[in-house]
Amino acid sequence: MRTIREFEERLHIECATGDIPGFVHLYAGEEAIAAGVCAHLRQDDWIGSTHRGHGHAIAKGCDVVAMMKELYAKRDGLCGGKGGSMHVADFDVGMLGANGIVGGSPPMVCGVGLSAKVRGTDQVGVAFTGDGGSNEGAFLESLNLAAVWGLPCVFVVENNGYAESTSSLFHQSGIDVAKRADGFGVAGVTVDGHDFFAVWEAAGEAIRRARAGAGPSLVECKVVRYYGHFEGDAQTYRAPGEAEQAREDRDCLAHFRARVLGSELLEEADLAAIDEDVLALVERAVVEARSAPDPEPADLLTDVYVRY
Amino acid sequence: MRTTGSEIVVGIVANPASGRDVRRLVSGASVFDNAEKGAMVYRALAGLGAAGVGHALVMPAPGGVSESLARQLRARAATPAGGPFPELETLPLELAHDARDTVRAVELMRERGVGAIVVLGGDGTHRAVAAASGDVPLCALSTGTNNAFPELREATVAGLAAGLVASGRLGPQTVRREKALAIALDGTPVDLALVDVATSGERWVGARAVWRPETARELVVARASAAAIGLSAIAGLIEPVSARDPHRLHLRLGPAGASWRTVHVPLAPGLVVEVGIEEVRRVERGVPLELAPLRGSIALDGERELEVGPDDHVTVTVGDGPVTIDVEAAMTEAAMRGLLVTEGPSGR
Repeated sequence: MRTIREFEERLHIECATGDIPGFVHLYAGEEAIAAGVCAHLRQDDWIGSTHRGHGHAIAKGCDVVAMMKELYAKRDGLCGGKGGSMHVADFDVGMLGANGIVGGSPPMVCGVGLSAKVRGTDQVGVAFTGDGGSNEGAFLESLNLAAVWGLPCVFVVENNGYAESTSSLFHQSGIDVAKRADGFGVAGVTVDGHDFFAVWEAAGEAIRRARAGAGPSLVECKVVRYYGHFEGDAQTYRAPGEAEQAREDRDCLAHFRARVLGSELLEEADLAAIDEDVLALVERAVVEARSAPDPEPADLLTDVYVRY
Repeated sequence: MRTTGSEIVVGIVANPASGRDVRRLVSGASVFDNAEKGAMVYRALAGLGAAGVGHALVMPAPGGVSESLARQLRARAATPAGGPFPELETLPLELAHDARDTVRAVELMRERGVGAIVVLGGDGTHRAVAAASGDVPLCALSTGTNNAFPELREATVAGLAAGLVASGRLGPQTVRREKALAIALDGTPVDLALVDVATSGERWVGARAVWRPETARELVVARASAAAIGLSAIAGLIEPVSARDPHRLHLRLGPAGASWRTVHVPLAPGLVVEVGIEEVRRVERGVPLELAPLRGSIALDGERELEVGPDDHVTVTVGDGPVTIDVEAAMTEAAMRGLLVTEGPSGR
């Protein structure tokens, strides 16, 4: 959670320098979701992400330095520097990839579920999408497919109330995402996406059910994101102060800190040590990314075709 | 649309967040449809209008409730027939998207002099309403998960009853003062519960619901029906306490099978669990009861709300709660007095 925040806050600064090519969509504010869900996953479980994938990738265990190099389009980035922010993937840790297609991951994660089911493993697939994604035909088809085949899939809807710049009021008829799951016979719940423990408990039950063969579930996480749809978004569609208010009142890291200290699960020193490690890691990631070599012209044709 | 033109005002609170918590994953509960809540508000309005209510103040309810109500109203506007209908006003409320919205909405409704408030939600919603409703009669309708407080009832009839009460046409026996459990932390009042207070060994509020019986340690109930679902059923199955009884029950819970008694309790829809009982005693109203210190959380009406440590002194005191409308009694009195009967030309 802390690593994701620092990674995103640092990108917010670095994007403004113009050194990072391509679009960047920041996850800041939503960290409790990626962390609360992925804390229950094993390395051999799979996730499918969104165009806003940094948080999911970090929570699933992708290498932070290699991710930063990927965003800087460097040769030893996680995908050879040819994918960038919206295609960060690492099959070794079960990260199927960020995905530029809205609602693109749910069908892929049905594939994960089918594979696990056919092979008789107890692996689980988790698809992240947003409120905009939950309007996509592919998302609704995936709910149906996962339900009818009883696939070990969990659909996590990060509902920030906007599909890019369009409020849910104007893009969603029957703005009741948890109920959409019900319509397909999939268990659906809604939790506060700012509350790590709320997400962690609900996702834990959803993943436990999937692993035990009880079929798919949907976890809708209501959340207010701190930055706009993409870096540079003027956010004229948002109420003034909406993000600032959420940062002030509902920040997942502040809540987590208050709770783990209040209940004596962790001490100040533990959190300070994490802060220090994270700051050093992200600093190293940026420094190494800046000085890393660019891909060569010959690299253009590598990784284009896969031999099965 | 025909309006009644009367000065009688009624408030409506429909909680868009009720009926969709983690119990859908851990029990057989299903999501309570927000579109259905919007339709229920519409049906309650039809009842209110028929009972002569002229104006309805509605809490803004995003997440599908307001949208569903708007669809119903459009359909009504396109239909030539239809009885009198209250004028609708959505309260000008800046939403925080949590229980504070409900409390603020009820405060605004009281400032505007509502004669009754129709509430759609679960125990949690009603708890938030009761914190601010004072003497305004509530018509408590269930749209939640484990409802020990509100009733499952057709909203049209509930609207009729609420409208008749709000218009002052029914006697005092159609409303009643409920009990409430006041929670104090180190002597300072912090919250209230309408049905039950439980301590849980789970350290965080998290997903709120209490569904693992082994985590519950102590239970205090203001009312306990043997036919209830949820924590209060633990007490209800041993010694039912009605809303009218002067006392409450305090239970110490223990491991199932290894305690003095083990009760088979419907803790959530589709979830019947064994709960061990170490001790049951009656406690009279007005006497503060101190809960045993623990590192964990306090659940109010089945939802973890407060995180506490061993140095926190938590007391529970039974006292007066909100005023509720007895729909059955209200409609019976309306029938006896012919309030919904018009004599025709062929009348005898």
